[in-house]
Amino acid sequence: MLELADVHTYYGSIRALRGLSLSVERGEIVTLIGANGAGKTTTLRTILGLVRPRHGTVSFNGARLDALSTDRIVRLGIAQSPEGRHIFPRMSVLENLELGAFVRSDRDGIAPDLERVFALFPRLRERVSQKGGTLSGGEQQMLAISRALMARPGLLLLDEPSMGLSPILVETIFRIIQDINRQGTTILLVEQNARMALRVAHRGYVIQTGRIVLHDAAATLLRSDLVRKTYLGEK
Amino acid sequence: MRESLGPPALVVALLVYPFVDRALGLQTVHAVSDGMIYVLLALGLNIVVGYAGLLDLGYAAFFAIGAYAMGLLNSPVLGSPLYGHAWSFWLCIWLAAAVSALLGLVIGAPTLRVRGDYLAIITLGFGEIIPVAIRNLGDVTIEIGTWRPIERLNLTGGENGVNPVGRPVLPGVPFETDPVPWYFLILVVGALSLWAMSRLRDSRLGRAWMAIREDETAADCTGVNPVSTKLLAFALGASFSGFAGSIYAAKLQAITPGAFEFQVSIMLLCMVVLGGAGSLKGVILGGMLITVFDRIVLSQSTFLVRSIGRTVGVPALAAIDLTLWRWFFFGLGLVLVMLLRPQGLAGRRVQPVAADAEGDQPLAPEPSSLPRVEAIPMWLRERMTRAPAAQEEAILDVRGVSKAFGGVVALNAVDLVVPRGAIIGLIGPNGAGKTTFFNVVTGLARTDGGRITFAGGSLIGLRPNAIVARGIARTFQSIRLFPYMSVLDNVLVGEHCRLAATVAGAVLRPPAVIAEERRARERARGLLAFVGLSGKDDDLARNLPYGDQRRLEIARALATEPRLLLLDEPTAGMNPRETETLTDLIGLLRRELALSILLIEHDMEVVMGISDRITVLDYGTRIAEGTPAEIQRHPRVIEAYLGTGYEREPAAPSP
Repeated sequence: MLELADVHTYYGSIRALRGLSLSVERGEIVTLIGANGAGKTTTLRTILGLVRPRHGTVSFNGARLDALSTDRIVRLGIAQSPEGRHIFPRMSVLENLELGAFVRSDRDGIAPDLERVFALFPRLRERVSQKGGTLSGGEQQMLAISRALMARPGLLLLDEPSMGLSPILVETIFRIIQDINRQGTTILLVEQNARMALRVAHRGYVIQTGRIVLHDAAATLLRSDLVRKTYLGEK
Repeated sequence: MRESLGPPALVVALLVYPFVDRALGLQTVHAVSDGMIYVLLALGLNIVVGYAGLLDLGYAAFFAIGAYAMGLLNSPVLGSPLYGHAWSFWLCIWLAAAVSALLGLVIGAPTLRVRGDYLAIITLGFGEIIPVAIRNLGDVTIEIGTWRPIERLNLTGGENGVNPVGRPVLPGVPFETDPVPWYFLILVVGALSLWAMSRLRDSRLGRAWMAIREDETAADCTGVNPVSTKLLAFALGASFSGFAGSIYAAKLQAITPGAFEFQVSIMLLCMVVLGGAGSLKGVILGGMLITVFDRIVLSQSTFLVRSIGRTVGVPALAAIDLTLWRWFFFGLGLVLVMLLRPQGLAGRRVQPVAADAEGDQPLAPEPSSLPRVEAIPMWLRERMTRAPAAQEEAILDVRGVSKAFGGVVALNAVDLVVPRGAIIGLIGPNGAGKTTFFNVVTGLARTDGGRITFAGGSLIGLRPNAIVARGIARTFQSIRLFPYMSVLDNVLVGEHCRLAATVAGAVLRPPAVIAEERRARERARGLLAFVGLSGKDDDLARNLPYGDQRRLEIARALATEPRLLLLDEPTAGMNPRETETLTDLIGLLRRELALSILLIEHDMEVVMGISDRITVLDYGTRIAEGTPAEIQRHPRVIEAYLGTGYEREPAAPSP
């Protein structure tokens, strides 16, 4: 469904991605794990066309993404919940969610999806008319994920969805990620919480300094020495 | 960071230029001198716009004030009772600068609460008011019934302005007939101003300005008083325009209100933006380019185009006056610069680096990054242990604090005590009010009720910077560094409230200030080494990888010499190894420095591992308080926060 082949992305003269290749098949949860600064967020930014790869190709359902503008890419059915949330601070929770559905033309489908989102995150229903900027950090995280879901994307990109969430919510978020996936959404999940990410994912990639150094079934990765030592903090 | 004032060759060129001009018969000294006055003005504006980041659209008002101060004090003819005879130019130039600075304070004061667009609008209004006031004060009559205490008083010369204005008198120097002495006078004043500005920029005050520009809230919470810092920017910026204005008035020998219109403010702003806001070299370059273009290139090329027009036989070209097109060319030039070099001609090129763009980090976290006891800077250890002996058990005592935002109750009569030298965990569901609690303690939000006592004194009503000075430092949930300042400068801003250098000290640099600055830098480097950021002094804070930014924020907080440290989710977004390093660091701070710590954290291994006691908030209310073991078993905490699956494995995915 999504395919990155030998992608090199630069910020000025800094090489952020150095020949990265990965693929996501329809119906999968694929996780990308790695240290801070390894290039995880850059990978997502490259997929969305927020930065352009200098070499290599990004394709989605056979269509090349690396020459398209971000809004076109989103219209093809890719939505992201960005790291650091980036919600619209002066708009209400409801307006934020409605903007998530901006690219959709099926008006009738939006109301049930709104209900679905509120069922997933009851806290958002309580705050529906509050301004996004007045939400707490964790609530903003919920809003960012919900806003991405409102686009009803074929492929959902999640950047550190568990960051800043309470333990009970971390658990909930990962359960929701599985639920969303079962309902037919393919997910590319970038996470610091490698343990949880690998438990819910089908396959995983380990990224170091802009390259994939390991990729395998998630269960296998959980047992690998590199992952256990470096990303799970086991001795 | 340091910009030199120019190589010797440039100095020589500036000194011989007027003589070369005379020998070649170019007659450009006059225009170049005027240009230098505008450069001096632009440099003053640069303090306000470039350093402190306050957009000022009415800066020409200060130019007018300087010029009229000179004109009124030094004019031999003006009809007001104040001015029977002319005062010396050499005295008036200082008076003019003082008057401008004073008005800078007066105008700055009401605008301090507003920022960005609103501030720009206010300064715009002020820039319009001054010329209008000058026009209308040429004919003042006050009537009280039939009594006229003041009748047709000419205070400012009205539309006609002040004419003549006295010239400087210096034995043997022909200021009357020759433009060259003016050139050198302006050169000397300009060089001295530049010298003062470059010293200000590299001082405690300069760092405070830039911190305000980068993030006012973070600066406030790091101990910088935004009110006095911004006022100083306005006053000092205005004082330089006072010098420029007074020289302008004396050089021209006549001033009219028309010389200080809105366009002048905009042209000065163009000079700053074109050259690169914040860069002294850039502003000089921008200022010289615009004036040389305006005064010399446009008029000369008019002749050229006309003669071409005549030879080719195009009447439209033969009659053209390019000086009428100056605003067209300014605008065009500015648009091109903004498109091609948005940071200005001499501004530092800043790469669009995203948070994780550091591609060249070592793969494995180096073991040396683990915090070591020996790495604790000696000075910090001395400060901490020298703190007054404990008179009371609790360093922070919060009783019944409430806070509501509109209808949402964020805190509801919360009690929390931090004993001296303890680590207290503050946990709770997202949106429970934990960060609001931090904001109330650090003065960012006002309490609706309750008491907050720190080391025996109440914190209610204190501004954040005053609370930092009392000894409470904090970090932010979403990192708030000063992104376009160097790593070292970020820490130095933290030391701001412990340093004493004044404006005069920053410019004149007496031995005490030099020693203080050297000590501050040593301390900052010591702190950076302690948190594991040695050798990154000159990197921009924004270019650091995420984990390093977190550690830099802690170093900056420690630089304020706190007795209580508030950490808001310090390990968020860190991998297990980074988390472990940070946890060790926090433990070390408490063990070795007796620092008290209040910690918001969602990583239960961290919280349960290092907290002495834990307070749990839910919907702004304290639902539990106790030791980690008690909290882990507490039914309400499990229900609201930990979840029943806290120890359980989540279900495996269906493949």
